[in-house]
Amino acid sequence: MEYRLRLAKRMLFNKKGSLIGAVLAVTIGILVIHVNFVIFQGLFDAIVRDISNYRNGDILITDEEDYIDKSDQALVNWFERIPYVEAATPRLSSTASINMTKFGTLHEETRIPIVGVDPLRDIRASTVHETVSDGQYVFSRNSIVLGSNVARDLGGAQVGDSLKLKIVDKYGQDQIKRLVVTGIAKSPGGQGFDYSVVVHIDTLRDLMNRDGDTGSIIVKLNDPSKASDVKNFFLAAFPNDDFLAETIEESAEEQLAGFRSGIAMINMIGYFGMMSSAFAIVTIQMMLVNGKTREIGVMRSIGATRKDILIIFIFQGMIIGAIGAGVGTAAGLGYTFYAKETKMSFNNSLPLEVSYNWEKIIQTAVLSFILAIIASLYPSYRATKLLPVEAMRTV
Amino acid sequence: MSFSIEKGEFVLIVGSSGSGKSTLLNMIGLLDRPTNGKVFIDGTDTTNLTDSKISSFRNKKLGFIFQFSNLLTDLTVLENVLLPREIAGTSDSAEKNARELLKAVGLDDQINKRANKISGGQAQRAAIARGLINNPSIVLADEPTGNLDSVTAEIIVQLMKSMAKKLNQTFIVVTHDQHQFGDVDRVITIKDGKSFEGNLPSEMEVLA
Repeated sequence: MEYRLRLAKRMLFNKKGSLIGAVLAVTIGILVIHVNFVIFQGLFDAIVRDISNYRNGDILITDEEDYIDKSDQALVNWFERIPYVEAATPRLSSTASINMTKFGTLHEETRIPIVGVDPLRDIRASTVHETVSDGQYVFSRNSIVLGSNVARDLGGAQVGDSLKLKIVDKYGQDQIKRLVVTGIAKSPGGQGFDYSVVVHIDTLRDLMNRDGDTGSIIVKLNDPSKASDVKNFFLAAFPNDDFLAETIEESAEEQLAGFRSGIAMINMIGYFGMMSSAFAIVTIQMMLVNGKTREIGVMRSIGATRKDILIIFIFQGMIIGAIGAGVGTAAGLGYTFYAKETKMSFNNSLPLEVSYNWEKIIQTAVLSFILAIIASLYPSYRATKLLPVEAMRTV
Repeated sequence: MSFSIEKGEFVLIVGSSGSGKSTLLNMIGLLDRPTNGKVFIDGTDTTNLTDSKISSFRNKKLGFIFQFSNLLTDLTVLENVLLPREIAGTSDSAEKNARELLKAVGLDDQINKRANKISGGQAQRAAIARGLINNPSIVLADEPTGNLDSVTAEIIVQLMKSMAKKLNQTFIVVTHDQHQFGDVDRVITIKDGKSFEGNLPSEMEVLA
C-alpha cells in the first residue's frame, strides 16, 4: 500500500474518537438530506399522487376555450387503444347549492364544487371511489356522494338522506334535482373530494343543459413516464380541435409551485447542514494535525516533502469522506426503507410517497465526499507549514 | 566557526548546555538555516537549495537519530525503518535491507511490533536502523543516549560505533557526555559560539 495512504489510515484509525466524530459529522449531514427528502419530497410526491389519482390523471385533456364537445365515448375509446393507457374517463365540473332538512332544521350550502363522473369508467381511471368511507360510490343517476366536510356542514348528512341540488344551467336558469346520498368521501391530504360532491356525469349534464359536453378527460397510464409521448400522440391525432393536453406536472403546476420552492428551501437547509459537517471535519482534522505535530516534524526530517504531508492529510479527508458517505448513505437508505415499509404518513394522515431516488442518493454521497476532501485542505495546508525543527520540539 | 569532516569519521560535538550544539547539528541536518555562513555536504552548497530539494537531500544524504527515538508510533518497527526508503521512492530490496539492518541492531524479533510497544533502547536501535537505511553520507545523532539508562546507553554507543566502522559511515554525534563514547575519531567542542578541536580548552586548537 502507498506509504502516505497507509500513514493517513493508521494515524486516523489510531485516533478512533476523532475518526468517529468526523465520520459522524458526514453521516449526520447526509442523513439530514435523506430525512428531508423522505418527508418533504415524499409529501410532495404524495400530493402529486393524489392529484393524479383523484383529479387530473397522468394526462388531463380539456378544451382550450370551453367544454369538450366531441363524444367522450369516442375519446375514451381512442385512448384505451394505446398500450400505455390503463383507462380514461370523462369528468364535468360546476358549482352547486345544496339544501337538506335534518332533524327539522334546513341546512343550505352554496358554491359547493360538484363533479360529474362516469361511475363505470371512473373507478378504472381514478381512485376517488376508494375515498368513500361510508356507503358506496355514485352508481345511479339520482345518487350523490358528499365530501365529508360538505356532509358535516349540512348538519351531519348520512347515507340514505335526501337532499336538493340546485345548479344554474348554461342559460342562467336554476335547475333543481332531488338526490339520495349514497356515500361520504373522506381522504387525507386535501386533494380528495372532502369539500366537493360527486354525481353521475349525465345527471350533471342534464342539470347544466350540456348534453354531450365534457369538462375534461382524465387518462391513467400504466407507465406514467410515457405521459409526454401519449400527450403528443393525442395532440397530433386531433390537430383541428382546440384540445389542451397536459401531463400531471403541467396540470398541477400551479398547485405545486409553492411546494417546489418549499422543498428547495428545505434542501438548502440540508445542504447548510452538510456545510456545518464540513466545518466539523476542519476542526477535527486540525486537532489531528496538532496531535501529530511531532510526527510531521520527524517525517519532514527524514525527507518527506510538504507535498507528501499535504497528501497524507488529504488522504485522511478522503477516508473520512468515504466512510462518512458510506455510513450516511446506509443510514439514509435505512431510514427510507423504514419509511416505505411502515407507510409513514404526514401528520398521521397523508401517506407519504416514499421512493429511492438513486440519482439524488449518489449525488448526496459524492457531494459529501467532495466536501470532506475540501474540508481537509486547510488542515493539510497547515500541516505543511510546520517547520521540522519546531515540530520536533513538541514532545 | 568552520570545520570539515571526512567520510567515515566518527565525530563528537560536545559543549555545555545552551552552547549551540543542537543548533549546529540542525544546520548540518538542514533542519535549520544558518543566518550566516554555509554548509557543504558532499561538495554541495546547501544554502540556496529549495525546500523540496532540501527534503530530497535530507532523505538521501542524511540520517537522523534523535534523543527521543522519534519513531512513528502508528507504524511497526519495520515500517519505521522502511519509511525513508519509501519516501525516496526506491523500494527495490528495501524490505530485505531493512530486515538486515534490524538484524544488525538486534531487533529481528521485534519487526512487526508497533513502535510504541518496544522499550526505549529498542526504539533507539530501530532509529539507528532507520538512519542508515538509505546509506546516507552522514548520520546525525542528537543526544542519542540522553534518554536512556547507562547500560542501554552503552549498548547504543557501541552499536553506533560498530555500525560506523562496519559500513564506513560518517557519524556526527552531539552529546553532553563525551566519556560515554570513549575513543572517537574527533571531538569538536562548542564554547561561546566558537568551535575548538579537542577535549580541554587548554589543548584546543581554535578553528574559528
